[in-house]
Amino acid sequence: MSLPKSSRAQVDDRSFSLALPRGGVLLLLALGVASVGATLLSVTVGSFPVSATDALLTLVRGAPSEMAETVVMQFRLPRALVAVVAGGLLAGSGAILQNVARNPLADPSLVGVSQGASVAVVTLIVMFPGMPYELRPAAAILGALAAALIIQLSSNRDSGSATLRFILTGVAVAAFLSAVTGAMLTYGDVDRAVSAMTWLAGSLATVSWDDVWLLSLFVLTVMPALCWASRPLRALRMGREIAISLGASFQRDRLLLVLLAVLLAAVAVSTVGPVGFVGLIAPHLARMLARTGPGLHLFLSMAIGGLLLACADLLGRGLFEPIQIPAGLVTALLGAPFFAYLLISRRGT
Amino acid sequence: MNASSNDLTVRDVTVAYGQTEVVRKLSIDIPQHQLTALVGPNGCGKSTLLKAIARVLPIQSGQVLLGSAPVHTMPTRQVASILGFLPQGPIAPEGLSVRELVAQGRFPHQSLMRQWSSADARAVDQAMAATNIADFADRPIDHLSGGERQRAWIAMVLAQDTPILLLDEPTTFLDLKVQVDIMRLLQRITHDASKTILIVMHELNIAAAFADHLIMMRAGRVRASGDVLSVFTERNLSAVFDLDARVLTSPENGRPVCIPSVA
Amino acid sequence: MQTMADAREHPGHWSTGIAGLICLCVLAVAFLWHISVGAKEIPFAVIVEALFTYNRDQFDHIVVHEIRLPRALMAVFVGAGLAVAGALMQGVTRNPLADPGLLGLMAGATFAVVVASLFSVPDFSMIPLIAAAGALIAAVFVWLVASAVRGGATPMSMVLAGAAMSAFLGALTTALLLIDQQSFEQLRVWMTGTLTVRPRGIALWSYGWLCVGLLIALAIARQVTTLAMGDETATGLGVNIRRLRIAVLSAVVLLTAASVSLVGPMGFVGLVTPHFVRLIVGFDYRWVIPGSALAGAVFLLLTDIVARTVLAPVEISTGLVTAFIGAPVLVWLVKTRL
Repeated sequence: MSLPKSSRAQVDDRSFSLALPRGGVLLLLALGVASVGATLLSVTVGSFPVSATDALLTLVRGAPSEMAETVVMQFRLPRALVAVVAGGLLAGSGAILQNVARNPLADPSLVGVSQGASVAVVTLIVMFPGMPYELRPAAAILGALAAALIIQLSSNRDSGSATLRFILTGVAVAAFLSAVTGAMLTYGDVDRAVSAMTWLAGSLATVSWDDVWLLSLFVLTVMPALCWASRPLRALRMGREIAISLGASFQRDRLLLVLLAVLLAAVAVSTVGPVGFVGLIAPHLARMLARTGPGLHLFLSMAIGGLLLACADLLGRGLFEPIQIPAGLVTALLGAPFFAYLLISRRGT
Repeated sequence: MNASSNDLTVRDVTVAYGQTEVVRKLSIDIPQHQLTALVGPNGCGKSTLLKAIARVLPIQSGQVLLGSAPVHTMPTRQVASILGFLPQGPIAPEGLSVRELVAQGRFPHQSLMRQWSSADARAVDQAMAATNIADFADRPIDHLSGGERQRAWIAMVLAQDTPILLLDEPTTFLDLKVQVDIMRLLQRITHDASKTILIVMHELNIAAAFADHLIMMRAGRVRASGDVLSVFTERNLSAVFDLDARVLTSPENGRPVCIPSVA
Repeated sequence: MQTMADAREHPGHWSTGIAGLICLCVLAVAFLWHISVGAKEIPFAVIVEALFTYNRDQFDHIVVHEIRLPRALMAVFVGAGLAVAGALMQGVTRNPLADPGLLGLMAGATFAVVVASLFSVPDFSMIPLIAAAGALIAAVFVWLVASAVRGGATPMSMVLAGAAMSAFLGALTTALLLIDQQSFEQLRVWMTGTLTVRPRGIALWSYGWLCVGLLIALAIARQVTTLAMGDETATGLGVNIRRLRIAVLSAVVLLTAASVSLVGPMGFVGLVTPHFVRLIVGFDYRWVIPGSALAGAVFLLLTDIVARTVLAPVEISTGLVTAFIGAPVLVWLVKTRL
């Protein structure tokens, strides 16, 4: 079979760039720049105004005033950085779950994974206040894994309408776990309960450099796994039967990918609280903005997620000054209508 | 890999859902370089058998052999280079274009290090040309008609570049004309590219018109197997399908055609 | 509960009178038990005394009258109201997952009440009506979204649309409360669904509307049965579907709004109870509706007992306990009924 020359040239071009579409790569760069911009903006906004130049000076050379130094370096910069990284992790989790579950509505907060992490962290805060802060991620991971296991066991995958059923089971598990968390709050000491509640609303008000280091370390650790994920994701998003016949180790890959998704969400939740809908929205935005394979899509989603959470935090801080609306509420206000939109535009099965 | 590793045989295979055995100690040889149609009444286990051959379903006992190697214990990726499988009514991820879908077939030929090669590109283009879908290569799958979509899926399995293809009801829910197109396509692939193709299907007359080899199943067992002329008989139709019909010879191509009795 | 189990073993053998009597006895026992439980246990005899020959000098009598009786009454009315609302919704939408909480009505009512207290609406009589407006708007929105989903308003699309609605209104409610710290202090406990005493005006009006809603429900129960068999069947039997739908919607909205005004969002009562009742009395809504009212009252009395005793001296919000019980039931329903 002879081929038209032009199409062959186009294909060769692709192979040169490892099948990464140029548009996607450019978008990723643009998103990186936008995230830096959002971080800078977030450093200047607040009850103590810091001009853009002062903020830059603080970051590059040294602060023009002690107050600026404290505000920027102690509070705003770590907060902005945590927003970007945690948002990225939540979005990555959502992107993986959506592909593996073949479910455009999947999101760690909708399927109960975030709530599982929440229960564990709130338990830690309320019942064992003496425990070191570093244990939070570990507790969150355990809780999230337990929730994932419950959902796996209670959802019936044989039926045709598995997509919605999976989400519905998640809704139920999330309701249950929220009740557990609520009970924990009534049981515990008032001060601790209040601190737990701020965390639960998805507020970034209390994050510190510790969180930044922890998240950075975590991202570096899972980076190889994220790169690995692109290949199994390609097969698994085609569904079980085709994935198997394409030669993917379906059981193993699915287990590893779900573990990875749970891990990403749990660590993010342990620092910023159960922020909802970022993992739902970001992968869809990524798909709308650029046509890519699932590997690049994963990283695009993460970049968008980071930007989303950073903007949500910025909005929450700026809209009703001096009152701060937790970022988790802002994402819910944006995310719930988006969820309804996805529900309506979903293809029939 | 020697030539005989492309020999597909089923030996005493039993497949069960829970307690109910759907396929019972079934043995068949799939003839090489032929288009084989697997037919039988609803619930006879033909789709189950195909899925078991494609290792999508586990088997309770017996073996599916490629040459002398059992499919269910071979490295799955090695199987994927010999055996392609298209399930019934597959659903693509939303928004995938035709070319992207066909490119999925290259999955077993790639690895984390070797992402995309000119061989992959060539296979994808050939598969699209063979199925005549190159014209709408960049359209999303969701926007295609039923027949076009089915051809795109067939192109995906073709791009996998395996000597054996298994297709589960590739013509179901399609217009008669489209069914004929798909069967012509499969016939051409079988003979031009000398592939071994096994399809499960419903339409008896279409199967009789295009297949080289016919297998009839009932209640989990093979009732008849052989070339179309010897298997597609009034007696077999009655025994396997409880169908009271006359079998005539088509003036078109000398193939048998069944006409249900009206009385 | 014991007698209910007995009744189930002999369906149809009980004359309706006896069955009704037994149910009322169960309700009475649960009611007395609910009153007797607390920081200080009060024997049944003393409660009966306090109810019929009230003595202002006895401390126990005062406790019964001023604290425990109002709470028990609240459990009875709210439990009955929510269970009946759930039964009506399940019947009319033919959706085993219908429940005022799951379909977003509760979030709508809650949001409306919070808005009302934010603008400090002085007239308590308005609170249930404002809540009703919120519930109605939420219900209409959820219905519209669910109908726009491909495949129409199936049980699943309804619940998912309801979940989106609840998430949205929930976030909005929390944001409003964060802006107004004072309302937050006032409403924080109410928001989790607790049977604590509300301002008298709100309580009286809520009880009034609950009674109206229950009466409407009883009046239309017979027609709901026909509607549960399908629109065509109902029309064939001479039911005016439009009018019936409006009656059902107003009953459901009133019951939900009045319950929320009283005790805050109390999820899953309307989901769980009707399923349990249908197991016993079958699918005739002439029995399902009163049965749900009784069972809902008993259910909420018992859950409230659990909420008050399980971590004593600390009290859990009753709404949390209903969620503990309701969420697994929801999983089970999703698994078996859809």
